Amino acid sequence: MFSVIIYGRNDTHGYNLHKRAAISFNALAEVMSDPDDEILFVDYNTPDDHPTFPEAIHDTLTEKAKKVLRILRIRPEQHAHLKSKTHLVALEAQSRNVALRRSNPRNRWVLYTNTDMLLVSRTEGESLSDILGSIPDGFYQIPRFELPEMLWEAAFDRRDPAGNLAKLRDWSVRYHLNQVVHNFMPMKYDALGDFQAALREDMFAIHGFDESMLLGWHCDSNLAARLALYRGRVDTLIDKVFGYHCDHTRVAAANNKGRQTRMNDQDQYIWNVSTPYVPEQAENWGWPDVEIEEVRLDRETSYQRFTAGLDAALKPATVPYTSTSLEWFLYDDLTYDIDHTLPFVADQMLTYPRSTSVMIVGTRGEFVERFLTAWRAMGFTGPVLVPNECEGLPSDLEGEERGAFEDLLPRAEMFIFEFGLATQHADEPVRIGRQAGPLDTKRLKVVAKLFRQATSTEAETRPPGRRTPRRFVGVNVIYNRFWPLFTDYVGANINPFCSQVLAGLPRVDPSLRGKVLRFRGRRAL
Amino acid sequence: MLLRLSGSLREALGTRRRQAVDEWFPGGNGAEAEHLFLRATALFRTGDGETAMRLLRQAIEMAPAFSDAIEAEGEALDMSGDTAAASAKYEQARRLRQAGRPGAPDRHFVLRQQGAHTAEIVAYTRVLKSLKKFALPHLARGNAYLADRQPDLALADYERTLKLHPNSLDALALKGEALSAMGKYGPALEALDKVIAARPKDPEALNARGIAHMALGHVEQANGDWRQQFALLGGRPAASAYVAMRLADHEGALPHLETMVRNDRRDPYWTLYLRSALLRLGRPLPADSIVDDNSWASSLLALQSGKASESEVMARADSAARRAEALFQLGVAAHARDRSAAGSYWQQVVDIGLPSLVEYAAARNELARSAS
Repeated sequence: MFSVIIYGRNDTHGYNLHKRAAISFNALAEVMSDPDDEILFVDYNTPDDHPTFPEAIHDTLTEKAKKVLRILRIRPEQHAHLKSKTHLVALEAQSRNVALRRSNPRNRWVLYTNTDMLLVSRTEGESLSDILGSIPDGFYQIPRFELPEMLWEAAFDRRDPAGNLAKLRDWSVRYHLNQVVHNFMPMKYDALGDFQAALREDMFAIHGFDESMLLGWHCDSNLAARLALYRGRVDTLIDKVFGYHCDHTRVAAANNKGRQTRMNDQDQYIWNVSTPYVPEQAENWGWPDVEIEEVRLDRETSYQRFTAGLDAALKPATVPYTSTSLEWFLYDDLTYDIDHTLPFVADQMLTYPRSTSVMIVGTRGEFVERFLTAWRAMGFTGPVLVPNECEGLPSDLEGEERGAFEDLLPRAEMFIFEFGLATQHADEPVRIGRQAGPLDTKRLKVVAKLFRQATSTEAETRPPGRRTPRRFVGVNVIYNRFWPLFTDYVGANINPFCSQVLAGLPRVDPSLRGKVLRFRGRRAL
Repeated sequence: MLLRLSGSLREALGTRRRQAVDEWFPGGNGAEAEHLFLRATALFRTGDGETAMRLLRQAIEMAPAFSDAIEAEGEALDMSGDTAAASAKYEQARRLRQAGRPGAPDRHFVLRQQGAHTAEIVAYTRVLKSLKKFALPHLARGNAYLADRQPDLALADYERTLKLHPNSLDALALKGEALSAMGKYGPALEALDKVIAARPKDPEALNARGIAHMALGHVEQANGDWRQQFALLGGRPAASAYVAMRLADHEGALPHLETMVRNDRRDPYWTLYLRSALLRLGRPLPADSIVDDNSWASSLLALQSGKASESEVMARADSAARRAEALFQLGVAAHARDRSAAGSYWQQVVDIGLPSLVEYAAARNELARSAS
């Protein structure tokens, strides 16, 4: 019957976002009763190494919410062409249009709202699907009622949407919450963007939201103006549904700078609107030709993929624990435990697109083999690229592609540099003061050289059309002699030694030292 | 009484006072009922819900199909705590708005709307009191007037928009539509020519120009515009079906009509038109398509299937548009056995029908084809 379209990103937009969003996701799912109903959450521009916002809070969502939720992930790379045109990190019109394009075509209605809304049908037990199924074609809005922060934060249980809706029925009377704020036509009510129900067919006919609105605010009013023209009438559903907004004004959201807030021009986008259509975007609204990843919380979750990968690559431990040490005299010992390290390497990968191509430059054949097993089992489809310059690594693994480093460089979307000892055996004890032999030194020199070259030339060797920098994962680069090398070239956090792994984007160090390092790296000195 | 007198005097003199930008004129629900509505909504805002409800009920008594007044009464009842009665009023308003036949889907979006838009006219007039220099309130009110079948008032709003925004092709296209609705097809063509020169791929403007051309008897030009429109629709079934029907292209209309019969069971006209196309193509009719209710469309379907006589259906046709619809179907039914009788029915469609009717264009094309 209807597709709810909402958007956001894995950040901290306003106060206690995680709680209000969980309350809202669960409450929206609660009022759905048609098998075709869905919540489309567009996760816009969350950093690639983070999970999407709903994934980050999945444990607070009900089974029903997980079932109806479809997450459409727009990557930073897909936002890059708009970055210079806006101060915002999440774009409403683009998000909502990407969802609309991909919404269930069997649904008659699209409901635009936000991740802090609860909808309460006035007839207890009546679902929003029933309500929308019973009303004539049109464009419907409802007034928004505010819910003080104390009430939703202190009294709501995220995973009890029915209980929360019942509380709202009670509070609305006890605390006089229901005040309708009328507005100029065509807006009809204040804060109209929290409930705009339009026919899916109408939204396609008018080319969705206006994607030239890049500065935030008034996207809802623009839609109201255009749908008011198109439909001739702005209808109300106040007799059927009340909408409550979890107030979040303790902390201003990123797009709210008081009177200094930059916003889309009201005159242009509301009062001088003269047509419902946006002909400039008639063919390309909602990015029809862009492949958008879809993430589900009820199947093939990140956790399921992660464990599938590790289960394929690892056997369970046979001892309660193993040990290693940070003592200074072990600084030059580059032995490490692959079984223990692999989960932390896999952890760096999971949030990236499945089609990612990753380059591994390393020394230990066993690491490459085990990583590749995990990579495939985690559902990645992109190739694992291994440069010919890395001698001694297996070359006949399924999914592995060998080639000259220079040729592979513009194909790689992520890098793993592994600094181990080529001569380390699987059953060898770790960090007991072992020195690198001549073969180890020779292989490590190659890895270090290719690492410097890859990080120093990253910007100019990106795959064609790519605008965002690629990620470098360093394996066995904590508290050993490759730690300074890795962090000279990559902006990595300080991580605990136990994880063995650092990761980040190439550093752009403007100091003389940084310039010298880059010069050396580029020329492979 | 004063209002009634002043209104009839103006009507008697055949003049309409020049409308100020933010002046409100009553529309399709009648002056008295709409004035009561206006007063009731103002009183309601001031907190006098009781008087407001009394005035609204008077207005509804005068104009029982006044859906905005019914909805306003619903709002007043809701705020007074009578939720059940309020809910019934809201439902009644929705049913009333659905009752009429919607405009043809190939036409400008404004003309796809139906019925009186009093609340919109009042609301945008209020906006115009403070925002006189912007396009939207003028256009939105003009559209409401146009949907309310007051094209002269709509035209005034569109012209004011054009004064503020002389390059607005949207306002110019609407001006063309308003002129056309007033029967001023020549000036309508002038406006629409300009729009299409600047936006040759505007399907709604092409449709409007086709109608103006057809009204002036320019059958070839009209068909040229509609063929272009058809190509621009990208197979959108509802609009494509109507354009093909205007062209009397039954073969072209058929797949779109079949799609619409499947997709939109609420509108019996899809079945009616599908059956018309099949009849004209000499193909068998589906068995299960008769809608058994008291609607006008059911009468036409009954006529089509021989279950109602010409005189019965013509007796039910209470408007020129309905008479034209019935005569068109009589022509379709007669065509296989008596082409001259069919031609005579279709000629009557052209004589009495509005040029915007799909039956008018189809009849003209049928006549032109049989003459050639």
